[in-house]
Amino acid sequence: MKITQGTFSFLPDLTDEQITKQIQYCIDNDWAVGIEFTNDPHPRNTYWEMWDLPMFDIRDAAGILYELNACRKVYGDNHYIRLSAFDNTHGWESIKLSFIVNRPKVEDPGFRLVRQEVDGRSIRYTTQAYSTDKPSSERYRD
Amino acid sequence: MSEIKSFNLQKAFEASGVKEVLDELDRDLIGLLPVKTRIHETASLLLVNKAREELNLSKIQPSLHMSFTGNPGTGKTTVAMRMAKLLYRLGYVRKGHLVLVTRDDLVGQYIGHTAPKTKEILKKAMGGVLFIDEAYYLYRPENERDYGQEVIEILLQVMEDHRDDLVVILAGYADKMDKFFSSNPGFRSRVAHHIDFPDYSDDELFEIAIKMLKEQNYVLGDNAVTILKEYIAKRREQPHFANARSIRNGLDRAILRQANRLFNKGDVELNAKDLSEIDYEDFALSRVLKSKPPTQP
Amino acid sequence: MGKPKNKDRYKKGGVMAYKDMGYWQPDYEPKPTDLIAMFRITPQDGVDSIEAAAAVAGESSTATWTICWTDRLTANDKYQAKAYRVDPVPNSPGEFFSYIAYDIDLFEPGSIANLTASIIGNVFGFKPLKALRLEDMYFPVAYVKTFAGPPTGIVVERERLDKFGRPLLGATVKPKLGLSGRSYGRVVYEGLKGGLDFTKDDENINSQPFMHWRERFLYVMEAVNRAQAMSGEIKGHYLNVTAATMEDMYERAEFAKSLGSTIVMIDLVIGYTAIQSMSKWCRDNDMILHLHRAGHSTYTRLRSHGVSFRVICKWMRLAGVDHIHAGTVVGKLEGDPRTTAGYYDILREDFVPMKLENGVFFDQHWASLNKVMPVASGGIHAGQMHQLITLLGEDVVLQFGGGTIGHPSGIEAGATANRVALEAMIFARNEGRDLMAEGPEILKNAAKFCTPLKTALELWKDVTFNYTSTDAPDFVPSSTPS
Ligand SMILES: Nc1ncnc2c1ncn2[C@@H]1O[C@H](COP(=O)(O)OP(=O)(O)O)[C@@H](O)[C@H]1O
Repeated sequence: MKITQGTFSFLPDLTDEQITKQIQYCIDNDWAVGIEFTNDPHPRNTYWEMWDLPMFDIRDAAGILYELNACRKVYGDNHYIRLSAFDNTHGWESIKLSFIVNRPKVEDPGFRLVRQEVDGRSIRYTTQAYSTDKPSSERYRD
Repeated sequence: MSEIKSFNLQKAFEASGVKEVLDELDRDLIGLLPVKTRIHETASLLLVNKAREELNLSKIQPSLHMSFTGNPGTGKTTVAMRMAKLLYRLGYVRKGHLVLVTRDDLVGQYIGHTAPKTKEILKKAMGGVLFIDEAYYLYRPENERDYGQEVIEILLQVMEDHRDDLVVILAGYADKMDKFFSSNPGFRSRVAHHIDFPDYSDDELFEIAIKMLKEQNYVLGDNAVTILKEYIAKRREQPHFANARSIRNGLDRAILRQANRLFNKGDVELNAKDLSEIDYEDFALSRVLKSKPPTQP
Repeated sequence: MGKPKNKDRYKKGGVMAYKDMGYWQPDYEPKPTDLIAMFRITPQDGVDSIEAAAAVAGESSTATWTICWTDRLTANDKYQAKAYRVDPVPNSPGEFFSYIAYDIDLFEPGSIANLTASIIGNVFGFKPLKALRLEDMYFPVAYVKTFAGPPTGIVVERERLDKFGRPLLGATVKPKLGLSGRSYGRVVYEGLKGGLDFTKDDENINSQPFMHWRERFLYVMEAVNRAQAMSGEIKGHYLNVTAATMEDMYERAEFAKSLGSTIVMIDLVIGYTAIQSMSKWCRDNDMILHLHRAGHSTYTRLRSHGVSFRVICKWMRLAGVDHIHAGTVVGKLEGDPRTTAGYYDILREDFVPMKLENGVFFDQHWASLNKVMPVASGGIHAGQMHQLITLLGEDVVLQFGGGTIGHPSGIEAGATANRVALEAMIFARNEGRDLMAEGPEILKNAAKFCTPLKTALELWKDVTFNYTSTDAPDFVPSSTPS
């Protein structure tokens, strides 16, 4: 299945040229862009691993793409990678744009929905990623 | 199929704003004739290259990395800034900013520190020009473990793979740069443009001084012409003489002395002329001239 | 100022001359802590506009129709509201804008009920006026700070939902009435799975013979969780907890919480106090609060009488709701573009400058009070995406009801069409493209890889609602000096 987190998940996978334009948009708005990766795509998994710090004071998207490519080289085959842009303007001080730029090379097995019947007809729902059934080093590999 | 395309160099030259930058360069910088000539040539080359690209005669991004050699204060940094602007107008860099660094900005203090530090700088410079002052200090053959070597490797890689993302200018003394190139052939092959900055003559430095004063809305008093000329001649003899930079420093001190002089006049009305004129006395007290009694005007 | 005697009575109306009682003070400079109300007044024939303004000031503060000796026991000057400015309304003979300042001590901290009882409590039926409209209000920071505001706010809502950089996408379940709980949940599931972020109960979905509220909650949450697992993305449904009593509302809200819902919904008709109570409950329970402005048009729509919706927006930001329906401009419901821009600014900005051409009459500082996410719903569809984003920006919920559920290939297809159109448009905007000029082209290109979008664009290409607005601003933008 295709996980639809992030701003542009309903579009076809982005090319580097398209990614560059989105990065440039962030930079031109004075947002710091960070690279994050994970092999645990649970929708409530907020803290993906950071590929170094968010990048401040970059003038051109090439600088970010340079790091993205370095990150892809290491994690690209079996991790999700996303770019998140942080706006430090007072009254926002949070993420302004966040989109997936890399998906594992193998199909995502998706999520299991566990239902626990509790009182009355109520149900407690738990979402589990099938990928996390395996230890981290074995996920998203054939 | 045979749509004859053509390209008007003169129009492109004017429309792109390249002409404006070159005119400014000619106007704002005193002397530097050989440098100006080389820059005009480079601009023409790059403009023609763009034209050839348009007409599908050329596809490769030319190597634009440069070396600026010359003594301190000969205008290398100043010209590099203009160069960044020029490359931006010509469409060879996307942003046109200049990032100025020395060895200390690139080399780390401990294992694992250098690569991120260097990359940080490279990322910031992308889209513009990276100016490495005294670049040869990156190479310290006497110390095998020197982290500078790591910078060199990353730098060479980026200079090769990211030609359209940034331009590197290596700057420093001519002799040291020559030595650096001969022991680092990687750089030699990647640096296509070498520009040499000659020392300024005394007359040029005088002219530069007048210009610097004017930029700050000061004028040289008639009684100070001779002493300034003498100051320049003497300053050149001093250790650590740094061409135009020494002149700027000397003028800064003269301005300070002028303020002191005016203040000590006490309770008097000062007019615009009083406040903007740098006089004989403002130089006379200079340490540079102290070696022998100053000539009277 | 000396108090008027009985013989100074206003001759015809049998009313005191309010302007002589201190309610008209043309030289008054509002204090930094004063609240200011701006009314559009239409005096009865023969009634002087200044006297009318003074009367409104009097009747909305200390005055009654005659002098009372008990006034003398109070610091009356302080409690008197002061009309200090009356301007004729441009191009509307017989109408006047009057500015009235109120001392902050007239109001109980943090109570919309108290505020509105004062400002609109009495005066709207006042005989010497043909019509009266509260156009705008200014709140000093000292007063703003007595309110907790929206329990979640735009930024935290986005963080919780993990959705950034684009409008949120929703749909109201249709048909409004008659679906069983089980069928209702089906619509929710299809819509969310297709790409919506939220689905929504309609304003009059409460607990009726065809669907008990618990049935709805249970099936809806099954649908929400299932869609979340199918997409890997956080989803929600505005469960409407509107009910007859506060006890019932709390009971429904608690049940929604126990099922793991991220958001609950209320209708404006529950009243200001109930809204503030629900806001407090949401703050205590990490819940987003959606407000449907049911009923507002009864008093906001007419230009000469009632309360402007911009004032309702201000009251609701103070009262503390996270979402409020605030118009679409292009859809089927009332909404002039500039007036609507004024509402959106009031809801979303920390400082809203006076902008007469948008109907905003005062500078308003919100003192970091959370921002309210405006909701655009009613007669909008994917083909208008470029207009919606240009007019409304990205911090908005776009709700396509018919535009989702009415898709010929099904609800899921309808949802996907809207989501693709939305993402493609934001993507193009970020690339620096001119949406108003290239919008249709951008949509057409996106439709190349999304058949449902192609179908939607063809089906609804001619649907527009072009009627003259009944609430356009009175001021036209002046050409800005260069
Ligand atoms: N030709 C010139 N005309 C005017 N000012 C100059 C000229 N060359 C250098 N300067 C001034 O001298 C100072 C030092 O120049 P700089 O470019 O930093 O030299 P370098 O980089 O060669 O050490 C700067 O303040 C610069 O403005």
